[in-house]
Amino acid sequence: MAAGGSTETLRKREKEKDVRESNILAAKAVADAVRTSLGPRGMDKMIQADDGEVIITNDGATILSKMKCMHPAAKMMQSLSKSQDIEAGDGTTSVVVLAGALLRSTQQLLSKGIHPTTIAEAFLEASQEAERILESVSRPVRLDDREALIQAATTSLSSKVVSGDSQVLAPIAVDATLRVIDPSADSNVDIDENIRVVQQVGGTIEDTELVNGLVFRKKGAAVSGAPTRVENAKIGLIQFCLSAPKTDIENNVVVSEYAAMDRILREERKYILKLCKKIKDSGCNVLLIQKSILRDAVNDLSLHFLAKMKIMVITDVERNDIEFISRTAGCTPVAHVDSFTADKLGSASLVEEVSLGSGRVVKVTGCEAKASTVTVLVRGSNKLVLGEAERSLHDAFCVIRCLVKKKFLIVGGAAPEAELALQLGKFAKTLPGQKQFCVKAYADALEVIPYTLAENAGLNPIEIITELRRQHAEGITTSGINVRQGKISDLAEENVYQPLLVTISAISLASEVTRMLLKTDDLVGVQ
Amino acid sequence: MSEGGMLAIDGSRETGQDVRTQNMMAAVSIANIVKSSLGPVGLDKMLVDNVGDVTITNDGATILKLLDVEHPAGKVLCELADLQDQEVGDGTTSVVILAAELLKRGNELVKQRIHPTSIISGYRLALKEAVRYIKKTLTIPMSKLERSNLVMAAKTSMNSKIIGPESDHFAEIAVSAMQNVRTERPDGSVRYPLKAVNIIKAHGRSSRESVLVDGYAINCTRAAQGMPTSISNAKIALLDFNLARHKLKLGVQVLVKDPRELEALQQRELDITKEKIQTILKSGANVILCSKGIDDVCLKYFVEAGAIAVRRVPKDDLRRIAKATGGELVLTMADADGADEEFDPSWLGSAGEVSEERLGDGEIIYIKECVKTAAQTVVLRGANEYFLDEVERSLHDSLCIIKRALETNTLVAGGGAVETALSVHLEDYASTLGTREQLAIVEFAQALLVIPRTLATNAAQDATELVARLRAKHAVSQQDPAQGEGMQYSGLDLVAGKVVNCFEYGIVEPAISKVKSLRFATEAAVTILRIDDSIKLNPREEPQ
Repeated sequence: MAAGGSTETLRKREKEKDVRESNILAAKAVADAVRTSLGPRGMDKMIQADDGEVIITNDGATILSKMKCMHPAAKMMQSLSKSQDIEAGDGTTSVVVLAGALLRSTQQLLSKGIHPTTIAEAFLEASQEAERILESVSRPVRLDDREALIQAATTSLSSKVVSGDSQVLAPIAVDATLRVIDPSADSNVDIDENIRVVQQVGGTIEDTELVNGLVFRKKGAAVSGAPTRVENAKIGLIQFCLSAPKTDIENNVVVSEYAAMDRILREERKYILKLCKKIKDSGCNVLLIQKSILRDAVNDLSLHFLAKMKIMVITDVERNDIEFISRTAGCTPVAHVDSFTADKLGSASLVEEVSLGSGRVVKVTGCEAKASTVTVLVRGSNKLVLGEAERSLHDAFCVIRCLVKKKFLIVGGAAPEAELALQLGKFAKTLPGQKQFCVKAYADALEVIPYTLAENAGLNPIEIITELRRQHAEGITTSGINVRQGKISDLAEENVYQPLLVTISAISLASEVTRMLLKTDDLVGVQ
Repeated sequence: MSEGGMLAIDGSRETGQDVRTQNMMAAVSIANIVKSSLGPVGLDKMLVDNVGDVTITNDGATILKLLDVEHPAGKVLCELADLQDQEVGDGTTSVVILAAELLKRGNELVKQRIHPTSIISGYRLALKEAVRYIKKTLTIPMSKLERSNLVMAAKTSMNSKIIGPESDHFAEIAVSAMQNVRTERPDGSVRYPLKAVNIIKAHGRSSRESVLVDGYAINCTRAAQGMPTSISNAKIALLDFNLARHKLKLGVQVLVKDPRELEALQQRELDITKEKIQTILKSGANVILCSKGIDDVCLKYFVEAGAIAVRRVPKDDLRRIAKATGGELVLTMADADGADEEFDPSWLGSAGEVSEERLGDGEIIYIKECVKTAAQTVVLRGANEYFLDEVERSLHDSLCIIKRALETNTLVAGGGAVETALSVHLEDYASTLGTREQLAIVEFAQALLVIPRTLATNAAQDATELVARLRAKHAVSQQDPAQGEGMQYSGLDLVAGKVVNCFEYGIVEPAISKVKSLRFATEAAVTILRIDDSIKLNPREEPQ
């Protein structure tokens, strides 16, 4: 950059007020866009991506990540929903809606002439107080209380397209997550590393199942005589090729007489047989072969020999899956045939090829290894449903993860937000000066959640909100919107629970973004 | 830069009522395309693709598959037809029409300020009640299921198709074929594999001369004229490797000093294959089916041995034949020591007769009296390609219908009987509910009538009057079962324009087909109704 370019590098300067205004407007527009998908009766969005692919989804994080927003403030809302996704995995829509509502209230405060810094400070205070209040109305949960966990997962699934199947998916999510952790010691779950979700078109979502082992979305090598079902399987995982060796580019095998041709043929057979025998000798009866780019991983000859030795072969295992497989089956990947010994083998009680809908999959079940990994086989009638089912399942996993992180539950159905609005309103009155005004506005903004929930459910929002306020004022902290019956009721009785972490994280993240946007007073385009 | 208004996205966005109306319009226009092809007197569509290939068909799934639909909601409907095709095989047109009607009525309700979620839950309730009602009162119990009923079901499905006039003939073929391929699984369950029925098309003669052949047929010819045309007590070798001059692999270089060596090398190349062939023949094989090529020089060995060799047999056919004849598909002949090659006689499949027969202007190889499982082949005859294609599609639909009927053992009456009965029942059911779902259920009931109405319209009958009469009959049967005995099967006879007892009249369908199409149509309508926002991003710009 040349010296004296200060006027050139700072291309565009906008007036302080305008910048704040435009940021808030852009962020609010994003919040409005996802608002209608909040809650169990939320609507879906249909998004046609830039490559022409269409997705229909209800998941806030997915919607926002697919939208190509231009405005920097809008991008902040996108990353807000993403960080809620990472932190809690659920409540990605509510966090954005909440941030939108907070921003709207700051607009009013600003127009009254309150200084942005004062608002920001007051919001910080309010969000800290909110956290305290939430903790006071939560209840602890133990990880061995399966029913409560399932209930929490069901609440999260209830807003999805697949809500009708939550009685199938919720227990799966709970069992899967609990299996990969040590309930007494762990305080976090690595979902992506330990839970594999495999999609298979065909059947319905009800056929989704939890597999304690592996599922390969391919059939075993189709050679006649090869077994398709192996009990007491000894699983070998190899990274070398079972095919005739290739010479380097510079080198050649030279044939100078006809007898040599026979020798080549025989040698090839012998070479491959030697490899196969070595594998057989180790006691292996299920062989997984990593995909190879340079050479054929297997050829007809080796498949034939392996089939004769009654070894089931699964080819083209992706490199990325090697680690997961070796942890699950307890086998060690082998890079050279010489090191292929019995102690490298993993074991499973059953490896079986099953036909599911239009295709076949290979299922490895009953792995003895202590490794804590599971696979969930998701079924559905078409790709759209499958994709949505996987996203919903992921949310449900995250709910359980939240409970592992912070073992507290809180009622759902907008009850915590209503309670917060009430308590913060009281808290505001204890504060002096302009802060009081700001915290009161903060408290009122939180009512956007019950308002939107009611609106999306086709109820009359004003009636619902006033009734909700009344009940909370009477001290029923657990009363919330019962969407199914379309009225206010005590949700603790209905068992609608969600993890405390989801609500806390949503409130603190939304407040932070609001404060950040408030404190921004200049937009400088640098080229 | 931004077209998305305040949202500032790179693309366009529509929300609320606009999206709903737009989606509904897309769905209705898709349904309008297939509407006129519903029913026994429905008409066909001629589709010409961008290459100029012509398809003439009456099958909803085929029409929609060939349409290049761009609108996402339209795509949902096309997928719906495809799903119905995969899961049931028939009823693809009606499922699309029903889904579009549900959407249209759902959209009207939204305009009357009823929240979409209430409509959705109303539709779901109606569906549940409809399925329950079909299972309770409308199905025809299993004991009444005989062969004649299967033929009726097949004829009903064929009626709307090009082979309608010959449905007697084709229904017999389809039913016999499906009944013959009945197989019992090791776990005791009975299956009717559709794939075991092979359909072969041959130009010439009339469609009435289509026949059912017991056995498997492949559309290939003998590799050489010197081979016999027929072999009884056939031992079939199924090969999945080339029987050609052995070629050295890449990376192997031939260096000779003496020109005579070269000749010896070439000779050896041939001999390697020759030895292979002789090993195969020694095992007793007299029919050799190969998925790859057979060199012309190798053919003489087969001719000398009096065996039939066929090259380039599709691999899927080979697998089927292996299953049917108890043979094994051989990938390589290496023996267990890796030292030599062998051909185990147990790899051979056996069949009573393998013969080549002339058909139309080509030849076909028949494999008859397979030992293991029954395989069936339908040889279709017809005037031209388009005709044959359409006959094949129609036959496929009927085969699916028979399969479903055999597997589930329940039938329902056709001719709009089920839809009308459900419509009448659901209206009663709606009035027992005092919730906001009531309106949606009434609309669902009304939407079902689109099927009999379209049937009547396509047949150039007075739809209003016929549907009214039909509803009256069903109302009697539901209010007073004793008086309305048998009236629950009332449906339309479209040629005469009368209301008849469809079950006695021989218009029946498998119950599962109706249940599934109701379910799929509702699911599709709900999927689209749930959408209130459509974001279309601008296509990514190709880097220059």
